[in-house]
Amino acid sequence: MSDIVLGISLQELCVQEGITETMVIEVVEHGIAEPLAGNDINDWIFELNSVHWMKKAIRLYHDLDIDWVSIAIVIDLLQQKDVLLRENERLKNQLDRFVNHVNDRH
Amino acid sequence: MEGVMEFKDYYKLLGVAPDADAKTIKTAYRKLARKYHPDVNPEEGAEEKFKEVAGAYEVLKNAERRAEYDELRRYGGQRDKGFEPPPGWQGGRGKSSGSAQFEGDFADFFKSAFGNRSGGFQGYSDFKQDAARGQDVEIEMPVFLEEIMSDVAKPIEYRMPVFENGRVTEVKKSLKVKIPKGVSDGERIRLKGQGAPGQGDAPNGDLYLHIRLIPHPMFDVEGHNLLITLPVAPWEAALGAKVTLPTLTGKISLSVPPNSQSGQKLRIKGKGLPMKNGTGDLYVIFKIVIPKNTNKESKALWQSLSDISAFDPRSEWEK
Repeated sequence: MSDIVLGISLQELCVQEGITETMVIEVVEHGIAEPLAGNDINDWIFELNSVHWMKKAIRLYHDLDIDWVSIAIVIDLLQQKDVLLRENERLKNQLDRFVNHVNDRH
Repeated sequence: MEGVMEFKDYYKLLGVAPDADAKTIKTAYRKLARKYHPDVNPEEGAEEKFKEVAGAYEVLKNAERRAEYDELRRYGGQRDKGFEPPPGWQGGRGKSSGSAQFEGDFADFFKSAFGNRSGGFQGYSDFKQDAARGQDVEIEMPVFLEEIMSDVAKPIEYRMPVFENGRVTEVKKSLKVKIPKGVSDGERIRLKGQGAPGQGDAPNGDLYLHIRLIPHPMFDVEGHNLLITLPVAPWEAALGAKVTLPTLTGKISLSVPPNSQSGQKLRIKGKGLPMKNGTGDLYVIFKIVIPKNTNKESKALWQSLSDISAFDPRSEWEK
């Protein structure tokens, strides 16, 4: 059994994921990811889902050669899409339980 | 570098002419990158396509490297089968970093032709991965609702890349994971050191598990609340009834109040999914079900009900 961790500190993030501190600050300043805790930058802790989006954002920044404002919009829309897809799936399931199959009138 | 590689025509990959100018190449790359980037396009094959396109652009965007590639292309492009660097070609220059952002066929070709140059497309300047640290592995972990209710460790199996003798191979690994209390659908958890092994004394990568709740035949999930649709007979809805209701922690007795409507919700506190502090609720949604067949006697009873009732279900339409 190994250690299960639900967060990651800025230092860990930089060393383990190989991201520079400057990149993380950029991502935070554009509201793409928000630290869970820590007023001082050295105390920043990130939730793992926001790390997922952070990495996505940095990849997009490099691969697509677009500015941070655009990246923030892209990430926001991708997140919205994720939420909507999941909600849609859930509502569909719920509706299926409630609605009977359509009988065509002859 | 020995062996025969498939020759990659970078110009063809980007859909540009071999004499295209830098601006045209950049535009072509941007267009394709946006279309196939795995972070935007979840479709299968998109990532492979993106890697090819990115690899092509990495070479063609740099005048010096492009000239080298053109030289190679003149030589290799004439062959039908396979590709070998021309004699005297100094492939494999530069220091091998061992970090394998992109693997496989294309990277092999790139490495054999250009070596693992520092600052090449294999490593971003802002992803300065410690070369020896093992890669992180992220996998989806489907979880049954019953499993997040229990304390039992769930066995999982995953594949991860292992760098050995200069080659990347896939190794299967199995592990038991105790699901932390209060996780919800879509959450990620991290298991330190359970990713790909590091080289030498370097630390292992981590394992990231993306929790996905498996749809339950009876319960739907909304955050930490559960929903169940309860079928009731018309007379149960009208008169009220006591029914047995399944929950994830066993059966309970439920009173259906008189004059319950179809679609009406009833909240049962604390019978939902566990949260970090506390427990979610269970919502019961009534669904009135009419018998498929009616016998003579029942029909007569429905008829007398119809005769005495002044109820108009469509009164709203009259307004």
